[in-house]
Amino acid sequence: MNSKLIKELPELITNNVISQEVASNIEEYYQSKHSNAPNRLFTVFGVLGSLLVGLGIILILAHNWDGFTRETKTIFAFLPLLIGQCFTAFSILKHKSKAWKEASGTFLFFAIGSSISLVSQIYNIPGDLGTYVLTWIVLSLPLIYLLKSNAVAILNIIFISFYAFDMGYGYFSVNQTPWLYLVLMTVILPHYIKLLKHQRTENITSIFNWLFPLSLIIVLGTFVNTISELGFLMYLLLFSLFYNIGKLPFFDHQKLRKNGYLVFGSLGIVIMALTMSFDGFWYMERFFLNAQETYISLLLFVVNLAILIYAYSHKWLKEFNLFQYVFILFTVLYVLGLNIPVFGTLIVNLIVLALGITTVKIGADKFHFGVLNYGLIIITALVACRFLDTSMSFVIRGLLFVSVGLGFFLTNYIMLKKQKANVKSLKH
Amino acid sequence: MKSLYVFILFIILAILQIAVPTQMIFDREGVLNSGTAYKFRTEPVDPSDPFKGKYIVLSYDVDQIKTEDKNWQRHQEVFITIENDSLGFAEPISVSIDQPQSGDYVTAKVDWYSNYDSSLHFSLPFNEFYMEESKAYDAEVAHRDAQRDSLPNNTYALVYVMKGNAVLDNVFINDIPIAEFVEQ
Repeated sequence: MNSKLIKELPELITNNVISQEVASNIEEYYQSKHSNAPNRLFTVFGVLGSLLVGLGIILILAHNWDGFTRETKTIFAFLPLLIGQCFTAFSILKHKSKAWKEASGTFLFFAIGSSISLVSQIYNIPGDLGTYVLTWIVLSLPLIYLLKSNAVAILNIIFISFYAFDMGYGYFSVNQTPWLYLVLMTVILPHYIKLLKHQRTENITSIFNWLFPLSLIIVLGTFVNTISELGFLMYLLLFSLFYNIGKLPFFDHQKLRKNGYLVFGSLGIVIMALTMSFDGFWYMERFFLNAQETYISLLLFVVNLAILIYAYSHKWLKEFNLFQYVFILFTVLYVLGLNIPVFGTLIVNLIVLALGITTVKIGADKFHFGVLNYGLIIITALVACRFLDTSMSFVIRGLLFVSVGLGFFLTNYIMLKKQKANVKSLKH
Repeated sequence: MKSLYVFILFIILAILQIAVPTQMIFDREGVLNSGTAYKFRTEPVDPSDPFKGKYIVLSYDVDQIKTEDKNWQRHQEVFITIENDSLGFAEPISVSIDQPQSGDYVTAKVDWYSNYDSSLHFSLPFNEFYMEESKAYDAEVAHRDAQRDSLPNNTYALVYVMKGNAVLDNVFINDIPIAEFVEQ
C-alpha cells in the first residue's frame, strides 16, 4: 500500500497535484516508519523455520528407529533439547535481537515435547495425551516471560486449549472439567495485557485479540457437565461479554479485522439467538440452582453487567445498541420462560429481528456496506429458519422471501445514492 | 544485571526441562534393573499416536479376577497381586484397594464388576508397546498368523515389576522378540 503510494508520487508531482516538498515529506515519513520492518520479517521467518524444524524432529523421532540401542535413542531424546537450550541461553546472555529470541524459544518449545515423547516411547510409558501435553506446557510456559516471546505464548495458548479440549470433550472424560485451563490462561494474561498496553495497534497484538476469545469459545463447552440446556445461556453470555469488550473504545477504535472480540461476539450472539428461536428449544426438562453451570452463568452475567456499568460511567454508551443489552433479555427469559415454548420462541424471534434491524441501522449510520448487509443476512437467516419449522402457507413464505430480497436491493440502493450525494456535497 | 537474573531463571528452567525426562528414565531403569520379570499373555492391535509414533495396544489375557467384594467404582485404581502359574505366566491372585504389604503386585483400573460370575474386570496400564512405524501393523498380522498353529496363545509381554511400578520391556511371539519376528 505504502510503496504503491510512493511510486505514484512522481506522477502526482508532474501533474501538479502536490509540490516536490510535500512529496519528499511523504517519502520521508514512510521511510522512517519502515526502518524496523526487515527485523520483523526476520522474526517471522525465524519462527516459521524453528516451527518446521521442531515439528520435523518430532516426526522423525516418531518413526521409532529399531536399529538403535536404548542408550543411543536416549541420547537422541536429549540432543534437540540441549541444542535448543544452548541457543536460548545464548540469545539471553548476548542480548540478541527479538528474532533470535522468538526463533530459539520456538525451537526449544518443540524440543521439550520431543524429549518427553521419545522417553515415553523408549520405555513404553503409557499415558494419555492430556497429561503429556500438560507436562509440556508447564515446562515451556516460563519461556514466555524469560524471552518475552510472542511465538511461545501463541503456541502455549494453542496447546492449553488442546489440553482442555482433550480433557473436556474426550471419550473417556465424561464429567471432567479442565479447571487448570483457567489457571494456565491466567498465567499468559499478563503477557497479553502488556502487549495491549505497549503495542496495541501492532499485528501481533491483533493475533492475540483473535486467539484469546477463540480459545475461550472452544473450551467453554467443557465446563458444561450435565445441564446442557444452560450451556446455551453460558455461550450467549460469553459472546455478549466479547461483544461488550469489543465495544470498549480501546478495541472499538481499531480496525474491525483487529477486533476479534467484536466479530466473534456479534456472530456468536446471532447464531445462539437463531438456535434458540426454534420451537423445540424451550422445552426444558430440568433446572438446577445448585450446579456448576449456574454459577458460571452467574459469573459471566455479573462480568457482563460490570463492563456495561463501567462503560456507562465513562459515558461510552452514546447510542442504544441492542447487542450490548441482549444478554439481560436472555437471562430473564431463561429464568421466566422455561417450559413456556410459545413465550420463549415468540420473544426470541422478535429479538433476532430487532438485532437484524439494529445492525442494518448501524451499517446505514456508518455508511458501511458490509455491516448493512450483515444485518440483512441476519433477517434472511431468521426467515429461513422459520421456513423449517412453521406451517405457514407457501404464499406467505414466498412473500416473506420476496420482501427480504427487495429489502436487500432497496437498502443498498438508497445507501449508494446517499453516498454519491455526500461525495457531491463534499466537492462543492 | 537484569539479564543475569533472567539467565539464572532460565538455567533453573532448563534444569527442570532436563530433569523431567531424566526422572522418567531413572524410574523405569530402576524397575528394569531390580524388578521381577513376569510374562503376561497378550494380543496386539495397531493404533497410532500423533506425537509418540506407532505403537501396538496390548490386550492382556489377565483382565479379570474372582472376588466376592461387590463395591467397586469405574476407573478406580486397584492393586492386583500376581504370581507365576505352572506354565510360567503371570496370573492374578488377589485384588485390593490398599497397597499390599508383601508379594509382587501391579496397579490396574477397574472396568466393571460382573455379578453373574462375581468377577472384577480391570485394565492393566502397561498396554502400549512402541514399534518402528512400518512394523506395528505387521506385528498384529504376525500375531494372528502365529495363533493358527496348535499352541494356545503364544504371544506374551515381558514386564518388570517392582512395588507396584511396572515397565513393559518387550513383546515376544514364540519366544522371539516381536520386532525380529516381524522381520522373518
